[in-house]
Amino acid sequence: MKTPARVLADQVNQIQKSGRFSPRSASLPTWCPGCGYFGIHQGLNDCISSLGIPLTQIVTVSGIGCAGRYPFFSKTYGLHTVHGRALPAATGVKLGNPNLTVFAVGGDGDGLAIGGGHLPHIARRNIDVNYLLFDNSIYGLTKGQPSPSSPMGTKTKASPYGTIDKPLNATLMALAYGASFVARLFAGDPKGITEALIEGIRNPGFSIFHIYTTCVTFDKNFKTWAHLKKWTHALPQDYDPTDLGRAFNEVLKDDFSLGVIFKRDA
Amino acid sequence: MPEVDFTVEVCGMAGDGTIAAGGLINEAMSHGGFSVLGFDSYPAEIRGFGRCVTNSRIGSNEIVALGEKTHALISLNDEQSRSRTPSLAEHSLVFFDSNPPAYVPEDNSLLSVLPPGAQVFGIPFGALAVGASGASRGRNLTALGGFAAVTGVDPNLFRKVIRDKFKAKGDRVVDINVKSFDAGYEYALEKFSDRLKSIFSKIETDHDPKKVMLSGNQAIGMAAIDAGLKLYFGYPITPATPIMEYLAKYLPERGGRVVQMEDEISSIGAVLGSFYAGTRSMTATSGPGFALMTELITHGVMAEIPAVILDAQRGGPATGLPTKTEQSDLHAAVFGGPGDSARIVIAPTDVEECYHFVIRSFQLAEKYQTPVIVLTDFFLDNRVENRPLIRAMEGQAASWNVFPDEAFKDHYQRYADTPSGISPRALPGMEGFNFTATGLEHTEKGSPDYSPENHAKMSEKRHRKLRYALKDLEKPAEFFASDHLDVGVIGWGSTFGSVLEAVEKSRKNGFKVGALKVTSIFPYHSETIGAFMAKSKRVLVPELNYEGQLANLIAHLDSKPVDRLNFVTGTPIPPSAIQSRIEELLGVLA
Amino acid sequence: MSMKRFVIIGNGPAANHAAKALRENSSESRITIFSKDPFRSYRAHLLPDFIAGLIKEEDLYNSSYAHYNEMDINLRLGQRVVSVDFSKRNVILDHKEVVPFDGLIVATGGKPRLPEQFQLFQDIMLTLKTPLDARMWVEKLSNVDSVLIIGGDLTSLSLTKALLKLHKRVKFILNDDAFWPVPLNEEIYRAVTGRLEQRGVEIVHCRRIRRITQLEENLLEVETDREILETGVLGAFFGLVPDVGFLARTGLDIDRGILVDEFLKTRFANVYAAGDCAQVYHPALRDYWVSIGHENATALGRIAALNLAGSHFEVQVKPESILEVGGVKINTSWWTEF
Repeated sequence: MKTPARVLADQVNQIQKSGRFSPRSASLPTWCPGCGYFGIHQGLNDCISSLGIPLTQIVTVSGIGCAGRYPFFSKTYGLHTVHGRALPAATGVKLGNPNLTVFAVGGDGDGLAIGGGHLPHIARRNIDVNYLLFDNSIYGLTKGQPSPSSPMGTKTKASPYGTIDKPLNATLMALAYGASFVARLFAGDPKGITEALIEGIRNPGFSIFHIYTTCVTFDKNFKTWAHLKKWTHALPQDYDPTDLGRAFNEVLKDDFSLGVIFKRDA
Repeated sequence: MPEVDFTVEVCGMAGDGTIAAGGLINEAMSHGGFSVLGFDSYPAEIRGFGRCVTNSRIGSNEIVALGEKTHALISLNDEQSRSRTPSLAEHSLVFFDSNPPAYVPEDNSLLSVLPPGAQVFGIPFGALAVGASGASRGRNLTALGGFAAVTGVDPNLFRKVIRDKFKAKGDRVVDINVKSFDAGYEYALEKFSDRLKSIFSKIETDHDPKKVMLSGNQAIGMAAIDAGLKLYFGYPITPATPIMEYLAKYLPERGGRVVQMEDEISSIGAVLGSFYAGTRSMTATSGPGFALMTELITHGVMAEIPAVILDAQRGGPATGLPTKTEQSDLHAAVFGGPGDSARIVIAPTDVEECYHFVIRSFQLAEKYQTPVIVLTDFFLDNRVENRPLIRAMEGQAASWNVFPDEAFKDHYQRYADTPSGISPRALPGMEGFNFTATGLEHTEKGSPDYSPENHAKMSEKRHRKLRYALKDLEKPAEFFASDHLDVGVIGWGSTFGSVLEAVEKSRKNGFKVGALKVTSIFPYHSETIGAFMAKSKRVLVPELNYEGQLANLIAHLDSKPVDRLNFVTGTPIPPSAIQSRIEELLGVLA
Repeated sequence: MSMKRFVIIGNGPAANHAAKALRENSSESRITIFSKDPFRSYRAHLLPDFIAGLIKEEDLYNSSYAHYNEMDINLRLGQRVVSVDFSKRNVILDHKEVVPFDGLIVATGGKPRLPEQFQLFQDIMLTLKTPLDARMWVEKLSNVDSVLIIGGDLTSLSLTKALLKLHKRVKFILNDDAFWPVPLNEEIYRAVTGRLEQRGVEIVHCRRIRRITQLEENLLEVETDREILETGVLGAFFGLVPDVGFLARTGLDIDRGILVDEFLKTRFANVYAAGDCAQVYHPALRDYWVSIGHENATALGRIAALNLAGSHFEVQVKPESILEVGGVKINTSWWTEF
């Protein structure tokens, strides 16, 4: 159930003062110092606080991976499932109780490799789940193997001579699968994440937030802070996110423009 | 009083109206007060290319197993029916189309392969149907007319069920179909006036209006609806698909929804998700799909989330024999998946139990917060029985959820280690009970914790909970109970009907034999089963699998070895096979 | 001999002895017996005993179904051959099945003969040829106590014994047609009527039956040229005629029966006829004769089979044992058996 905007406005100050709805849990995240996930955590927490959604009405669903631990670091209800299955579980939660706000979180291995088969289907069913895809192009929790979004030539212990497979582009896939809301974001811009989430939560269907992020421990070459800060930029001034053709063109020609790439007209 | 135990088969090609004809026989005989058990088999291939066979066993006493020998064969396609002749009883009645559209070479004819004692009744099915209705489509009904006339079935029984079947299509269709039936009936009455049998006309039966003709699949679907199912997640797989189709039709009118998922993994994932959110949901699958589900099933065990999974077993391993029956998923259901992941497994033995067990599975899942697996099989799901099926009364399907006490608000421990092992479960939306359910080993609070003490403690808690669940699980039922048995036969699932019939017949032969029906597969009532085994000189476990999967599970309960009877024919175990094994064992005893 | 398909039409003594002899001489071949009747081969002479309740129906039959399985003979009962295509060498069944053959023996036997004047009344007259007929007699006799028999063949005489045993009142009409194939003369007439009257049977003398009317289910009225009689059941007993009508337009030579040479061969290669349905050439008489009776049938069936299997046996019948009735030459053990 969406919180109406006017109620929201009345509540914001009160909420921020009380601290009662601060989504940050008592347990400290286990992520490495400097991990991009802190930025995403902040972006999502700020969104929840500013919308004033009661934490008891939120379920955060995850799979396995560094991002899979997310629910433990949040005071919402959490469902930490097995590797790759956050989206089906989130589907069950949302259909089971449509009043809940449901977030699914997971990394690129969880969402594009083992769980990659679920993305097209939750998109075409347009289940009202908000999916945050933490894309750092590496398997962190298993200590540095190439992921489906690693660029060709990625060298790891598991690929000492460099990878030879082409990377997947999650934003492009989401567009092709017909997701009704697609945003591309950067963990180094929590404010941008919050804004996109606030907009995306309003979408009464499946929303995907493809978030470029870092693995400071196992990726020193590709998605580093320095690179991502340099490469990422805003979408063109005149960009129209309701134009699917334009969205495809944009994503095909530019890998690093950030913002709401597509939202289906209501 | 004369008794009857008569098996009739209808065989044809897909499109001949074979299944419809078999269904009408079942309905008519059920309506006539007979006990009926029917089972259809049809090709794994797509419609239009295969052989369809219906088998109906009709009795004046209660029928609990499939007929072994066919007393009447109704052939709607002679070339297909040739395969049915090995199971014909002596002097069986064979009904066939005596005026086929084209001449038939001997090597394709049914009559050329009949046993010498077969009694043939040639009826021009097609021509009579054309005469009665203008089209040959009703030839299955003309065939039924011939069958009814020769075997002495009250034609009004058939006329009634034909009317019921076609009434939705209007009076004209009803009329045409009744006329087709009558054409066959009159023809046979006249043509075979000197060869009419009064097989059914001599039997006095009472029509019990409470009895309905129902398949295992329908009973499962009805039970799910009566249990207030809101969501069904599934993926097409033989033989579980009819459950999804049934619910797809009837669930929306109850405010529910069927979601056809992208695979079995997502199906069980969504079931867990919705139960986590407090909503009853289920999935049904068969072996290959079940195998895909096992990781998430153990997630349900670890994270203590309810789920209801129906495994309609078929022949395996791998893709195996999709349209054949087997009981070979027991090991997978009880043990499948990573770790010490004990979960509840129950197995109904007949259509009526399918209904009650499915309703109970939701309650067990809720109370014990663990996946509950209902093991059925192709034979049980697809067979039809006429049984007095009483639908659940108000409250009988009530939720067994165990919610936390308000006192624990704000310091709630999701996985609290209670004496029973049951930790009261909060649902999202409850204020002050927020928690994260996880498949990682965790503390009572729910935080990941891999310490040796914690894993030992929490493993013990989960298994204690399962042991505690025994009190809500149906005890094994003993038939022909006695203090000492020469042979004690333990049966489960769809095989139990054959066990019961075999034991009953052996007892009529004067042997000291008893039967134990085990429906709670895991956890199981080791004391009851062990006592039954102890008082039996020999213990026999007949199963439709190679490995003796139930036998393996319970063998340790008694010091003497268990005798096994394992069938991997893809077809139900015939009672006679069990009976001869019993009597073979008795021979050994003597 | 390589695998061959042999078809035998008929299921009487000639057919069954032919099948047995074929199997003995050709272990590889496929042998099929077709019978239009839905029952096994039976001992016709026991039918009256069955009617009298002296034996059970099962005792009528010669051999079990298992016997045919053991012999690997496909016995197909209740399946009527409607035609034979001798150019394509196929047998065609009533239900439109086409069965190819390499060798064929027709041994369909006889069927009750009904003189033309009675054919109008055939629905209300009982005959006695098969167990089915016997069952009908049993059923009828449970409701009536008087029987009128027209004709006087051997069967009727043994049936009469059974009827008397059941304490039925029996009347007999004997006329010219009655004794076929034995010519009715004064001597036979006197002998038969004497014996019947001795047993308490009433002989009705008449020249002609004018009319038969069914008054009620179990009451018939028979009007002769002399009187009007009432009876519960009416039996017609005029002997048997070859049952070969279905072969009429197939190209086979048929007179009364199928014409075969002294080796029982028809004009078509590997096609033979034997038993009551055949008319056999006699080289000495230079004419054909009709066989009647069980002994003849078994012998002829065997000879036909042996010849089909490659032998060359001639049927040996003494000319003096063949008598002529109404222009038909007949060999029968009938009269001697009586």
